[in-house]
Amino acid sequence: MRSSIHASGTAEMARPAQATPSALRDIVSSLLRDKVALVSAAFLAIVLVCVALGPTLLADQARAMNLMQRNAAPFSFDRPWLYILGADALGRSVLARIIVASQNTILIAGTAVLTSLVVGGALGLVAGFKEGAVSAILLRLADAIMSFPSLLLAVIVLFVFEPGVANVILVLAISRVPIFLRTVRAEVLELKERLFVTSARAMGASTWRILFRHVAPMVLPTVINLAALEMAFVMLVESGLSFLGIGIQPPEITWGLMVSDGRNYIGSAWWVAFWPGLVIMLVTMSLNLFSNWLRVVTDPVERWRLQTSAE
Amino acid sequence: MNAFRKTALGLSTALFLSPMPAAMAQSGDAVTIVLPGGPDRLDPCETPRSVIGRIIKQNVVETLVELDYAKQTTIPRLAESWEQTSPTTWRFNLRKGVKFHDGTPFDAASVVYSLERTLDPKLTCITRTKYFGGVDITARAIDENTVEFMTKTPMPILPTLLAQLAIASAKTPKGEYTTEPIGTGPYDFVSWTQGENVKIKRFDGYWGEKPKIEDATYVWRSESSVAAAMVETGEADLAFSIAPQDATNPETDKVYPNSDSAMFRLSADIPPLNDIRVRKALNLAIDRKAFLGSVISDKAELATQQVGPSVLGHNPNLVPWPYDPEQAKALLAEAKAAGVPVDTEIRMIGRPGMFANSNEFVEAAAEMLRAVGFKIKLDNLEMTQWLEAANKPFAAGRQANALLTMHDNNSGDAQFTAFFKYHSDGRQSEIHDAKVDKLITDAGMASGEERAKLYQETFRYIYEDLVADAPLFHMVNYMRVGKRIDFTPTIANAVELQLAKLVVKSPS
Amino acid sequence: MGNFIFKRSLQSVLSLALLIILVFFLARFTGSPADLYLPLDATEEMRDQFNQRFGFDDPVYVQFFRFLGGLLQFDLGESIQYSKPAVEVVLQAFPTTLMLAAITMPIVIAVAIVTGSLAAFRPGGLFDRIASLISLIGASTPNFWVAIVGVIVFAVWLRVLPTSGTGTPWHWVLPVAVLCLRPTGVLVQVVRSSMITALSSAYVKTARAKGVRARAIVFVHALRNALLPVITVASDQAAGIVNGAVIVETVFGFPGIGKLMIDSVLLRDFAVIQAAVLVTALAVFIINIVVDITYALVDPRIRHS
Repeated sequence: MRSSIHASGTAEMARPAQATPSALRDIVSSLLRDKVALVSAAFLAIVLVCVALGPTLLADQARAMNLMQRNAAPFSFDRPWLYILGADALGRSVLARIIVASQNTILIAGTAVLTSLVVGGALGLVAGFKEGAVSAILLRLADAIMSFPSLLLAVIVLFVFEPGVANVILVLAISRVPIFLRTVRAEVLELKERLFVTSARAMGASTWRILFRHVAPMVLPTVINLAALEMAFVMLVESGLSFLGIGIQPPEITWGLMVSDGRNYIGSAWWVAFWPGLVIMLVTMSLNLFSNWLRVVTDPVERWRLQTSAE
Repeated sequence: MNAFRKTALGLSTALFLSPMPAAMAQSGDAVTIVLPGGPDRLDPCETPRSVIGRIIKQNVVETLVELDYAKQTTIPRLAESWEQTSPTTWRFNLRKGVKFHDGTPFDAASVVYSLERTLDPKLTCITRTKYFGGVDITARAIDENTVEFMTKTPMPILPTLLAQLAIASAKTPKGEYTTEPIGTGPYDFVSWTQGENVKIKRFDGYWGEKPKIEDATYVWRSESSVAAAMVETGEADLAFSIAPQDATNPETDKVYPNSDSAMFRLSADIPPLNDIRVRKALNLAIDRKAFLGSVISDKAELATQQVGPSVLGHNPNLVPWPYDPEQAKALLAEAKAAGVPVDTEIRMIGRPGMFANSNEFVEAAAEMLRAVGFKIKLDNLEMTQWLEAANKPFAAGRQANALLTMHDNNSGDAQFTAFFKYHSDGRQSEIHDAKVDKLITDAGMASGEERAKLYQETFRYIYEDLVADAPLFHMVNYMRVGKRIDFTPTIANAVELQLAKLVVKSPS
Repeated sequence: MGNFIFKRSLQSVLSLALLIILVFFLARFTGSPADLYLPLDATEEMRDQFNQRFGFDDPVYVQFFRFLGGLLQFDLGESIQYSKPAVEVVLQAFPTTLMLAAITMPIVIAVAIVTGSLAAFRPGGLFDRIASLISLIGASTPNFWVAIVGVIVFAVWLRVLPTSGTGTPWHWVLPVAVLCLRPTGVLVQVVRSSMITALSSAYVKTARAKGVRARAIVFVHALRNALLPVITVASDQAAGIVNGAVIVETVFGFPGIGKLMIDSVLLRDFAVIQAAVLVTALAVFIINIVVDITYALVDPRIRHS
């Protein structure tokens, strides 16, 4: 799943440098005005609170089995409030598990996406700026990884190495590096022909300085947008790994593991897989909407574009 | 690329012409059967594997002898009668006038050929390795309809053993697997489309009573809910095995024991599991009854040994472990006081899909053990890695472990379990106890009452005196039988499904 | 142009070689298949025999060179599980998956272009919000969940579609629908995004100012400009379809290459893994080259990179 969303679409746009610090106040007030972005931000904030505090507060409740209330239905008010979303196949509170699992899930998906973003982004800058052997090899390697179904790659790698949090992150990160590499390279190829880059070069700035001071910030909005979509994908692949038994091992929990656990009960107890699936979806959506908004406010060109086309 | 063009053509022209799926119901004398997995080969010498046996055993290929699980006896099939002429020789009289599907006659030579083919080390026939391993057996034709089997050591259960040997036509190639089985059964093999289906049709030259069903198609769906849905919608007539949570309709969903027994094998040599108190505590800490009717079917039975009640040698007098976490804690404390490192991490090894809901089972069992103070690390391994942990030679310096295994013994005799699981030389045995070894060896030589007694004593000793492992359940399967069919599954259906025993109700 | 195609093909061969080396060695580190195929009480001798038969007794690099040698004669070894040539096993499964992809991708592209463009016309408008919402749901729902729910709803409750299997065209409806979901979700986002850019670009504005009356003309102009990123992402999603096919083929009992690959990994059927990876990668590289050529025809800058 690669997207060079704005790769060539923005070709003829000249973009000014970053937003100045004084614009920060504007940003906050703009967030308050944009209801969708506000709701997304609020939801993400709640998730972050769960990530920070969930395991400390609810770890025991998330592990407490009660086979008597196996697959207990949701919205039943004669059970404690923790069972409002129902119970799973071992009679554990789905709500408590979702909250506790947020930490692992966000940590794994976040680290994997961040790693592939940093590594893929850096390699993409290099591949875009320095043509020749290095660039060619990087691109061929990216092609090789991308032409191989990532699920299969993960399966093979995790059969070779022991499945654990670190290896799962590593596999997910490696399989996503090429997307960032290609997207960033496509953007850089365009940017480097632009006026401000050629003039910086003419003024004698070093390649690295141009790359990181001038080019990288311009690529960032696209990359952040992409990263938001990648989060969803990584969470879903992780779910697939859990289903094959090589993902995160219990008693650790992730949303992906919960979805795959519930798969056997879709016909008889829909809630077991539904709620964690819904949370994955909501997080994806919030990240996406929030990153869209972020892009608009941090990139004046985009803001102007939105205003004009919405006339 | 022919298949591609065919599909493309079919799709483009037929999308609007084809009838609605509701019209795809089954015609009168044809049945469709859904299996949980597809076959990889259809070789007669691999019939003890359920993915193959369920399709061809006693349908396409037959055996000399058939097992009667209910009565724990053997009944004639392709052999009319047999007698033991000396401790090491048996004489079998074959049914006359039987023909293979390819027209060749069934005779003594074909029996000898099938045995030789099965014993050929070039193939890893499961019939040989599971049942004839270590049995030095030869056969010779006395006359056209008489075969003599000779073994090096006395083999009192030879007829039971021969219930596993499928007889194939002499045209079946030696030294390579076949994908087109030729047998004497009531059904003739038609086709096998890789990944899609296997078809067989009624054989008009069959020696016995002609079955009513004319054509049978076998398909496979790994997703239990989909398999169950196929029968519910009438796309299929019978789903072989569905998960307990999908068996929601008592009218169509029938339970049958599948001869599988689950247990935790304990590494009884490695601390802390080398201490009997720790092993007892582990047994006491698992609430087996709580699983019945929740994660495991309520029709499953608590196990005390590795073989089920239908197997000769099963000991009915053993009492299942109670659930007593307090006593478990006390035993652990006692062991700890005596210097046993009870805080050492124990690896619990499961395998996804070993049985329906087995992932949930190990997760819950691990929690139960943690609750009394065990330190458990859960590892769900896939088949290859699981086998590495299960089989000898064991890795040097391995961790103490409780390995979930499921053993199926559908041969009717305890021999195929006892040696393999408990003898010092058994490939999956964790124990080496001189008394166990002697009991197993003696039992293997004995017959009848004596044999049963010796195996029963073996299982008692292992369970009560050694506490070598943690037996769990004798499992069951759920079969969904469509409304068109009248059939009640039994333990025999663990490895076979005789189409002749299905009754198609007259169309309403 | 010919030079470009030649260069691009050469690069693909390089990628293919890298992939094959990667898969060959990684797969061999996942453990020996002997235990899976041999009986539990197999003797050392039986193991040796098994390993000898499939050549696993040689050092890995010797096996690799033998594999390369075979490759030149289009012989990719023997499948352990099916006891027949791996190429045969793979080519039998490949058409189903190719067919799935060939039906899925046009649907995905058509739906995404229409929905995405309409959404881009009034960013922030009602249609845009609804389209964004649905496409994001599509992009973030687990395939297997949709597949099983689809069977329950359409085959069991409504009885309008068959549950699974192949045969009539109706059997393809659910699998294709499930397979479309994720790529459509992603592509709608891409189309929308690049259309917004194109619609606000200088020349479209000029066109509007000059009084080109029909909005449709503006639309077509913008769409042509927005197509490049769409092609890129679409080709990429096509490659990713094998991922989805693994799930779809498993649930619906389709005899395709996705399920074959995962089964072969689980069963350590190395020859089939290699053959399957080779065939799918070839298909993906052909798509890539075609896309690159289209790209180069439209945008000459790419030719030099």
